Amino acid sequence: MTDIADPLSAEIQGPSPRQMLKSRALSHKGLIFGLSVVLLLVVVALFAPLLAPHDPYAQSLMNRMVPPVFMGGTWEHPLGTDHLGRDYLSRLLYGARVSLMIGAIAALISGVIGTAMGVAAGYFGGKVDAVVTFLINVRLAMPVVLVALAVVAILGGSLTVVICVLGLLLWDRFAVVMRASTLQISRRDYVAAAQVIGASTPRILLTEIMPNVFNNLIVIVTLEMAHAILLEAALSFLGLGVQPPTPSWGLMVSEGKNMMLFEPWLVLIPGAVLFVLVLAINLMGDGLRDVTAPEGRS
Amino acid sequence: MPVKKTTSTLAVAALMASVAMPALADKASGTLNVAFTKELENVDSYFNSAREGVVLQRAIWDGLIYRDPETNEYVGNLATSWEWIDDTTLEFKLREGVTFHNGEAFNADDVVYTVDYVAKEENGVKTQRNVNWMKSAEKIDDYTVRIHLKEKFPAAIEFLSGPVSIYPNEYYAEVGPSGMGLKPVGTGPYKVTEVVPGQHFVLEANETYYDSPKGQPEIAKVDIRTIPDVNTQMAELFSGSLDLIWQVPADQANKLAQMDQFTVANESTMRVGYLQMDAAGRSGENPFTNKLVREAVNYAINRQELVDALLQGKSKVVYTPCFPSQFGCVQDVTEYEYDPEKAKALLAEAGYPDGFTIDFYAYRDRQYAEAITSYLNAVGIKTNFNMLQYSALRELNMKGEVPLAFQTWGSYSINDASAMVSQFFKHGSLDTTRDDQVLEWLDVADSSTNPDERIEYYTKALQRIADEAFWAPMFTYNTNYVFTTEVAYTPTPDEVLRFVDMSWN
Repeated sequence: MTDIADPLSAEIQGPSPRQMLKSRALSHKGLIFGLSVVLLLVVVALFAPLLAPHDPYAQSLMNRMVPPVFMGGTWEHPLGTDHLGRDYLSRLLYGARVSLMIGAIAALISGVIGTAMGVAAGYFGGKVDAVVTFLINVRLAMPVVLVALAVVAILGGSLTVVICVLGLLLWDRFAVVMRASTLQISRRDYVAAAQVIGASTPRILLTEIMPNVFNNLIVIVTLEMAHAILLEAALSFLGLGVQPPTPSWGLMVSEGKNMMLFEPWLVLIPGAVLFVLVLAINLMGDGLRDVTAPEGRS
Repeated sequence: MPVKKTTSTLAVAALMASVAMPALADKASGTLNVAFTKELENVDSYFNSAREGVVLQRAIWDGLIYRDPETNEYVGNLATSWEWIDDTTLEFKLREGVTFHNGEAFNADDVVYTVDYVAKEENGVKTQRNVNWMKSAEKIDDYTVRIHLKEKFPAAIEFLSGPVSIYPNEYYAEVGPSGMGLKPVGTGPYKVTEVVPGQHFVLEANETYYDSPKGQPEIAKVDIRTIPDVNTQMAELFSGSLDLIWQVPADQANKLAQMDQFTVANESTMRVGYLQMDAAGRSGENPFTNKLVREAVNYAINRQELVDALLQGKSKVVYTPCFPSQFGCVQDVTEYEYDPEKAKALLAEAGYPDGFTIDFYAYRDRQYAEAITSYLNAVGIKTNFNMLQYSALRELNMKGEVPLAFQTWGSYSINDASAMVSQFFKHGSLDTTRDDQVLEWLDVADSSTNPDERIEYYTKALQRIADEAFWAPMFTYNTNYVFTTEVAYTPTPDEVLRFVDMSWN
């Protein structure tokens, strides 16, 4: 009996899928780096009021463009001050809030829209698919930056407008990917089985389809979040995004631009954190894909 | 801070290396390369309201009279002498033997045509204030002409030496303002050989320029390019493809002054920066209809700090809606010292203990605008910041939809208070105050020919404007001119770049 049970129990006692996932995740350097940077920035954004050494809005014209500590400044303003004498570190910390909030909410809005459309198209097919595909094509035919610029220029720049515009523009990739993966999954036997036992359509969508397309969804969420953050920075840089005095990294780059030749750190510091955040989010998304769907790795 | 200095020098050195090109322009080639920041809507000086337009106007065209920028003395230019026939009639003797750039001879017909054309409101001259005091012109003989005024207007001589330049009648009748904008023809020291809108203007010295008080042009060719970005302008200055830039912000000018190869000259300008408040309530119910709120705004702004830290140079704090050197711009008015506590108290007294939120507009100097909003935010006036193009803001303003805006006015370098205070306080489309008392006094001041009476009534009007805090005048501007040491030039305090006064060292 033990002879027969041994290989079986060995198989049962081996690492569970969850444990395998965990070990894969822990050994994935990109994921670890990306996740820690993103988590760090989320913490910074949440606790900005506690961490910031100064009020990010407090102007002191007599202390303009004090250099950061590594360029001969003092610890009073570790990253120096901007063109109105506001503490650069504090503005950077508060700016993280704007960037992450816009990234997260825009990705959420577009995720909901895109996923609903994609899953519906993939599952129902036929006319629904034709309509959704048409909408996706229409959306893809419009250059995001141009449309965002136009809409923001007409409605006026503010945090809400930027979030809504980006949320309503960035759903295309969600729809495309969700449609393709739903199409794949809905042909599987377990979906057919659920249909045969008479499960309702919402039930099938929620319990059979969604859990199996979730991996793909997560990757797109991270991609679009990074995309939204960059777009917000671009809009703010052009003066159409978040309006002063709200600190935004894109706006900080824009404000520092005039002094770029002589005080390059004014542009380098917000530029660098923007770069690190977007890189971290992308690495995190890449890592999540590698870890959750190793077979898909090329 | 030695570290800082090294890095900035390094950055500049790297930049200079990366953009190094064969020098396109210098003394040897005889071409002066200049940058304009703003694009002109039309080179025709009656159909733009930009400072760049004034610069071109003074180079291409001449007026009947010339004001020496150093002595402020009026001398004949296209006219050789003039006299007041009565309170509303001026007679001019014209200079003989002057020709326009296209060969057309200058005579009384040109003056009559130009004056009649621009004085007619339906022809749509951009800044009506510059021309709408003239009624018509009348030819007496070929070289004698009379200008009839609508009513008494003592600043006529000043306006005739400034924005009113004389156009060739035959040519202007044929091509109109748009044709004049593309191929300008005047009598001035420089003739235009090329206009590529949005790109560049090429001026060449007028070899046959008459013996004008402006002097003879020394620099053979001036190539003016439109380069909106200050950093690009500086990069081109380093690489030698620009010889002169102007309107350089103070921060950059300070850094450039530390380098050997450039001359940095600072001059004050007639431009006054002010906050305009919708006291008349044209944009609907708004807090600025309350005098206490307007006073609070005046107390909330630290003018001295703005001047010391941001504008620098020859800028000064002002409390009048006009430039101190202008005739009639009496400085004896209520001054609002920086006092944020008092501002908060006034807001509370006005019924806004927690402040309020309002749309704030600006069209230039974003940095100053941001600093100003910071002061307002600090006393509780929250602002929705809107940065617009000048023409867009002007249009909104004419419709009366602007509750609060950071504005500036350069008075077209006209050294008379009427060029500013009367432009904005006489119930025109840009008047946000619409105060009948001010209008009444300004009417007297603008039309009186008695200098003492003018002063008396400007004083009354300016004091009322300050007492009622209709505006918050803040500071006067200055301009930094940066040019290579090969160029010799002394800027004048009226913000007009005069190519005719430049020469090579």
